[in-house]
Amino acid sequence: MTGETTTPSLAADGGESIAAHLELLADMGRDFAASLDIDATLARALERITAHLDGEGGALFLLDETGETLRCEASSGISEITGLTLNSGTGIVGRCVQGNVGEMVRDVAKDSDFFSGVDAETGVTTRSILCAPMSVKDERIGAIEIINKRGGDGLFDAADLNVLQSLSTSAALAVLNARMAAALVEQERIKRELELAAEIQRSLLPPAQPAPFPIQGINHPARTVSGDFYDFFTLADGRVCFNLGDVSGKGMNAALLMAKTASLFRCLGKTLHDPGRLLGLINAEICETVTRGMFVTMAAGIFDPATGRMRLANAGHEPPLHHTRDGAFKALEAEAPPLGISTGLVADDVYPETEFDLDGGTLYIFTDGVTEGYLEDGSTFEVEGLKATLAQNGALTLSDRLEAVVGRVKRGEDALRDDLTILGVEDVR
Amino acid sequence: MEHNIREEASAVVVAFEGDVDLESSRRAREVLLECVGRKRAVLVDLSQVTYIDSSGVAALVESFQSARKGGTTFALVAVSDATLKVLQLARLDKVFTIFASVDDGLAEAG
Repeated sequence: MTGETTTPSLAADGGESIAAHLELLADMGRDFAASLDIDATLARALERITAHLDGEGGALFLLDETGETLRCEASSGISEITGLTLNSGTGIVGRCVQGNVGEMVRDVAKDSDFFSGVDAETGVTTRSILCAPMSVKDERIGAIEIINKRGGDGLFDAADLNVLQSLSTSAALAVLNARMAAALVEQERIKRELELAAEIQRSLLPPAQPAPFPIQGINHPARTVSGDFYDFFTLADGRVCFNLGDVSGKGMNAALLMAKTASLFRCLGKTLHDPGRLLGLINAEICETVTRGMFVTMAAGIFDPATGRMRLANAGHEPPLHHTRDGAFKALEAEAPPLGISTGLVADDVYPETEFDLDGGTLYIFTDGVTEGYLEDGSTFEVEGLKATLAQNGALTLSDRLEAVVGRVKRGEDALRDDLTILGVEDVR
Repeated sequence: MEHNIREEASAVVVAFEGDVDLESSRRAREVLLECVGRKRAVLVDLSQVTYIDSSGVAALVESFQSARKGGTTFALVAVSDATLKVLQLARLDKVFTIFASVDDGLAEAG
């Protein structure tokens, strides 16, 4: 570097110019606070700063998101370079931004960092440059550059640089505020969309049926939307078709796959009354389009309230528990992998079924969000905790019993790490 | 979660350590897909994995699907008890090829 640069110091200045400077600073502050259009406000501010410092031209550069490019967002006077982009290390302005210090170059011809490409394009001859970084703490936002002082000896001095630095800091704060406001608006928009998605998801769950209907379910999403679901509907012959599923992962992608799987179940389940074949068909459909290794564990069945007969198929889901009339718990382990991984994993693409009499007992199907959920004391619920809670609350109605289970799992801020879903099928004969 | 990749004569061995959960599974996915992209047999050493959730399993599933499409071997080796329990409960032991040790996997891949 051969050019003359000066570190700003507290230069003596006339009271008149300090008053003018403070007035400009206050005006700019008011303008920034009142404006909804940050670009127009920055352009106005640059015009006034250029005039205040008696420069022939000025330019305001902002760093892009990658920090690799400086873009001229506004220009004034003889510099018509709005829209111009530079590598963030190019020229005096690049040096100013990279070093985060003000630059005063009185003769650009003597500064090897001076980038003559802009002059070549605009036809303007730059003689001297005053440049101050726009930054807030360590966050670099850009820089304001003023060229060619008109009056006096035509040279910028340390007092000019001080003035420019205070003005550029004010502009930097305004840009940062505007960006934060924009991010907040975007966040609000995403939140509203998530809430709408959650509303649609809740509508996919069946409405609770009054007793003595044999099936009740509860779903508490850990986030706004859920990857868990359950459904049940009564067939014309009085049997009830039901399922409970859990999509791998969380968030919107899990929620969308949940919506697809739940819809497939409801649609196909109305005509196909074999749980094993139903799961085979849903698996084939999901496998055609699923991405990113996502899969769905699902237990699905058909229950006949008139006879207590149960048919159940389990695709990789946490073993449902059959709580028998005499108080024992039988775990019904999956005999086949989850849906969405591959076809051909089970013979003839028919998932194995288990058939048994509920015989006055209850079948509970739940997601690992229940068994891995945290209790008040910080321990996890586990299958044993679930069994104990179910046994202790045997006298309650099915719906109250399920509420008692989810009531055990802590659901405060951040405590619920997975969606909580549980379904009970009771033989109420 | 930590990981380590080493090239052996018959396979790429990628070893994970710690929890493969919602926070780390994105990284695990990138690592696994990069290994599968090498067009060689891939052995995933899960001996030091203390916890795996469904997003971690999905990363394994996607890599398995990708290897199958590319016609290369993809197997899990020396699976820790905690991980094996998760895989067995979901009957994913029917999906993945699993070897008891890295050496068994290397012998088979060779």
